[in-house]
This record gives sequence, structure tokens and C-alpha cells, in this order.
Amino acid sequence: MNESLWLTAAVLFAVLGMGWLALSLRTHWQQVCPQQDLNPREGHLRASGACLLLLSAVCCFEADHPSMAVLVWVMILAMAAVVVAMTLSSHPGLLRSICPRAFIEDVHSQD
Amino acid sequence: MFNGFRIAMTWVHTWFGLVLGFVLMVCFFFGALSVFDREIDRWAIPETRFEPQPMPSFDRLLLPVLEQQLSPDEQEYAANMPKLHDAGKGPMTPRLELPVDEYWAYTTHRDPVLAAGGGFRVPHPKDPTLENHIHGRVTIDPRSGTVLRDDALKIGSDWFYPLHYKLQWEWKDLGYWIVGLAAFSMLAALVTGVIIHRKIFREFFTFRPWKQTQRSALDLHNMTGVVALPFHFFFSFTGLVIFASFFYFPLSHTLLKPLHDQHAVLEAQRAGLPYERAGVAVPMASVDAMVREAKRRWAARDMAGEVGFLTVTHVGDANSFVSIYRAGSDRVSLVGEGIHFKASTGEVQYEDPPRAAVSEINEFLTGLHLQHFEHWLLRWLYVLGGLLGAVCIATGFVFFVEKRKRQHAKMGGQGSRVVDALAVTTVTGMVIAAVGMLVANRLLPIDLPGKGDWEKWVFWAVWALTMAHAFWRSAPVAQGRLNPAWCEQCWALGVLAIAAVLLNWVTTGDHLIKTVFTDTYWAVAGVDLSLLGCALIAFWVGRKLMRPTTYEKNAVNRALALHE
Repeated sequence: MNESLWLTAAVLFAVLGMGWLALSLRTHWQQVCPQQDLNPREGHLRASGACLLLLSAVCCFEADHPSMAVLVWVMILAMAAVVVAMTLSSHPGLLRSICPRAFIEDVHSQD
Repeated sequence: MFNGFRIAMTWVHTWFGLVLGFVLMVCFFFGALSVFDREIDRWAIPETRFEPQPMPSFDRLLLPVLEQQLSPDEQEYAANMPKLHDAGKGPMTPRLELPVDEYWAYTTHRDPVLAAGGGFRVPHPKDPTLENHIHGRVTIDPRSGTVLRDDALKIGSDWFYPLHYKLQWEWKDLGYWIVGLAAFSMLAALVTGVIIHRKIFREFFTFRPWKQTQRSALDLHNMTGVVALPFHFFFSFTGLVIFASFFYFPLSHTLLKPLHDQHAVLEAQRAGLPYERAGVAVPMASVDAMVREAKRRWAARDMAGEVGFLTVTHVGDANSFVSIYRAGSDRVSLVGEGIHFKASTGEVQYEDPPRAAVSEINEFLTGLHLQHFEHWLLRWLYVLGGLLGAVCIATGFVFFVEKRKRQHAKMGGQGSRVVDALAVTTVTGMVIAAVGMLVANRLLPIDLPGKGDWEKWVFWAVWALTMAHAFWRSAPVAQGRLNPAWCEQCWALGVLAIAAVLLNWVTTGDHLIKTVFTDTYWAVAGVDLSLLGCALIAFWVGRKLMRPTTYEKNAVNRALALHE
């Protein structure tokens, strides 16, 4: 896989990972899913989000010399966090689409 | 004085941030522009719009140019020659008769033109231990060896770039000191900011533009500060590291100078690179052959690369040597892996050994900031980091004003009015000055004597005008309302940015369809697209500022409902 594909993957994993980390926070979950009957599986979202960020790091190290990769990764994380924060403030519904069904708990189905 | 640690930290964060924040705005914004300084140079000097070139042949192309067309700089000769020359040993050597002592040539993967120059020896120096050189430089078209006019201002690399580290204030090196102090206070502001931010993780992604301006400005301040915290920290820190040995802790040139000089002599002896001239004239062997050998040795070390920097020391002397350094375009550290050749024979005299750990860290930190590498994504991410820093500081100003302006209005104070006007000057005013300079660059005739100086005057004049405008329109702030200068300067910025793109098209024929599609030239297209992006954002913000915010609308509705 060439360098630009690795970097594209790194960006995508970072945005997705930051998105899941944001959804694991109650305030942001309520912005994205105002319905009372859906709860996030916070632990799953947090752990998977962190894994995706690590995966993003792996892609950066595949693309570049380690000294360069570490800089690229840190800056990609910053960019991804801004993208997620701005999406939450302007179009929070969009983040719903990146949240897998497995990470959502239906309160009624438990009854 | 303070009832608690957090309150003390808030005081430090607020006041250090406010006082030096205006300088930090300049550092972050022009630092962000400096990431693409060479590209801005191409936009400003249309005759240099061609593809970047590798280091050309030294023997066939560079040496004839340097021998025939390089001369000591007139201004430097007038200023330094009387200081360096020992009148007791004879009359001062005329400028054009100074003997050349060194040559250098420098290029990067982003430079179509080649920077080259040399040092001319002062024959009768007062203090022989000093460098005793009068310098000269030329800009060369590496395709043909033509010497290009060097009087056009390189707006990116000779104006925006130095502005971010010395504010173009060279008297007593005051600019370096102020920027150093600002960088240090940035580090303090980051640490205190982390301490006073109570919900750093819970509000990591929080930005609520629909809330009161004070709240949303604080959200944006926190968010831009936290998400790019490593960037803000490392760039402030490495900025200090880069200049530490020159300005802030110049021990090797002051207290430890004798030790430093002795070390340089011993180092030269150890490496076999002569520290002084032998005084015996000897011709130089082929430098191109030395370049080939250097490239072969780099490739053998699995570090194949191009030449970034080349020097010839003690030109024409038996002790002359040629140093060839690899362009560090594939890694963060600066040019390195130097290989030194005996100039008279072309044999390898010395290869730089692997660096020690401390030196390696220093090279990495310096390279991290100076970014000589070829990595376009990382360059754009650096721009993002710089702009996030600027947004963080600007929203800090807005928060400061919003928090106090109503109280000041009740008490009849003018503090927030002054801070707000200065904030307008350093946010929209600074961008207007930068874009105004580009507009002037396209409007002023190319053959105008001192065109570069005129461009500099336009920059300062436009910036001063925006400041006058910001103060003139600031009366509403004293009544607890918004300064209309924010909105008006956004519109002015949008118009100027579009004018710059159109003027580039009219004066050079390089419109965006050509530079993006038909005759792609990303350096110019990138600047044009950034200007258009800047115009769009400026118009959008200007329009938003003309309308009351959702919070203000709700407040009015609530007031009306109560009234009814």
C-alpha cells in the first residue's frame, strides 16, 4: 500500500476513533441521540475509540519514517478532534451514522 | 494575595496571556503562513514560477556564476568593513577587490531558484580570531545559470517568516527578545490553562456556538487550546531552543568564548579540516565528482538523497575543503550526514560521525520547527496547528472583553474597549495587512525602484489603518455592545482577498483554471485557493456578525414575553 493510502487510512481511523470517544461522553451522546430510550455502551465506545487511534498510529508508522510518523499522528489527532467537535456543534446527527448498533443499548429491550 | 492556587493560576493565565497574546498572535499567524513561505514567494515574484530543481552542476554552472557575478554586499561592506579592518596595517581594500574565502549554495525540494553566496576575506583584520568576512549572495536560475534580480521582496521567506520570530524589529535584537518572552509566557499560559480548566476531558469536544458569546468563546478557547496542546507546547518550546544559543543563552560567544574557539580548532584538527588558510594557492578539483561520491556513500548507508547544502571553505588555497550535506527532505532533522573532501584532490577527508544523543534530540527539535521535510499533509497540519493557536489566543481576547464589558460599561471604564480594539487590530487587522501587502505587490509596477520597501510600507500602513479604525469604532464596547469594526473588517478582508486573486490573474495571466487544471502549478494555485477560502470565511463571519446571535434573539424574546 502506498504512502497516501496509509495516511488516508490514518485520518479515517483517527476521525472515527475521536468520534467514538466523543460519543462515550454522556453530554455528546445526548446531542447525537436525544431519544431517552437509547443509551451508549460507554466502555465499548471508549475502548474501541482508543484502539482506532492506535490503529491510526500504526498507519502513520507504515507510511513514514518513525520520527516523521509521530508528528503526523499527533497532528492528525488534533485535526480529528476539531472535525468531531465542529460536527457535534453544527450537525450532531451525522455522528449517529458512525456509531455501530452494537455500541447502543436499547433501554426498552432490557425490560 | 490570592485565595487559592487555582485563582493564582487564573491570574497568571489571564494577564500574561493578554499582555503577550498580541505578540503571540503575530507568531502563530505568520508562523502558519511561513509553512508555505516559498509558495508565497512564487506568488509574489512571478518570474520564479517554475518547478523546483535539484542542486545543479557546481563545476559547469555554479562556479562560473560565483566567480564572475558574486560580489561583497555594498551595504554590509559600508557598515562592517571599517569595524573589521585594521587601519594600522594599511589602507582599506576596495569592495570589489576583496579576495573570496568561501562559497555556499543552498536549495530545498520547494525551491525553483537557488540561493548561493560567499564570504570575502578582510585582508588586514583587527582581530584575526573573528570570522572577518563581508558576505555576498545571488539568486540563480538553476536551469540556465542566469542570475536573477535579487531586489524583489520575497514576501513569504523574507517578510512573513522573519516577522514570526523577530517582529522585523532588529534594533538591539529587541524583536527576538520580545518573541522569546512571548514564547515563554505561552508555555506558562499552557500549564496554567491546564490547571484552571476543570473539565479538560469532559469538555474535550465541546463547542456551543448557540450559547452566549462569552460561553462559546470560552468553549472555542478551551477546545483549540486542548486539542492542539502538544503542537502549542512544542512549537513554543522549540522556538526558544532554536534561538537559545544565539540570543537567550549565548554562552559560547560570551563567557565560554575562549573554550568555544579552542574547541573549534581541536575539532578541525580531529576531523582533519583546516581551521585556517595555508597561504598557498592551489586549484580546485571537480566538485561534481565529489557530489557523486557523496551520493554514493549516502546510498551505501541506505540514505540515498539529494544535495541540500554545499560549501567550499578557504577557496583556492591548499587548505581548501568542500563540505557536502544531504537534503533532509525525508526526515525531521535538518540537513546532515556531511561528507568533507580535500578541495585540491577531491579525496574524502572526513565523514560526520553519527550524532550523540543530545545532538540528535536538538536536531530533531529544531527540524520539527523548521520543517525542511517533504510531507505535504504534515505541512497543512502545521498550518492547522498554527491557526488553532491563533484562534485560541483570539478567543481568549474575546472572552476577556465579554466577561468585563458590561461591568466596565456600568462603571464607565474603558479597559475592555481598549482590549477589544487591540484584539480587532491583531485578528482581522493583521490578516488585512498581510493580504493588503499581496494586493500592493500586484499593483505596484515591477520596475518601481525599491518596490519591496513600498510593499513593506503598505503592510505597516494598512495595519495602522485597521488599528485606527478599530479604536474609532470602539465606542459601542464601552456601552456593553459589539464593536462594529469586527464586522466591517471582515468584509474588507473578503474584498481584499478576492482582489488579490483577480489581480494575480490580470497581471500574470495565471488564473485558477490554468494553475489547477491546464498548466498545474500548485504553489500559486494554493495561495490563490487559500485567499479565496479566507474571503469565504471572512464574508461568512461578517454576515453572522451582522445578525443577532440565537442567544441574543432568545434574550429579546424572553424580555418581550415578560413585558407582555
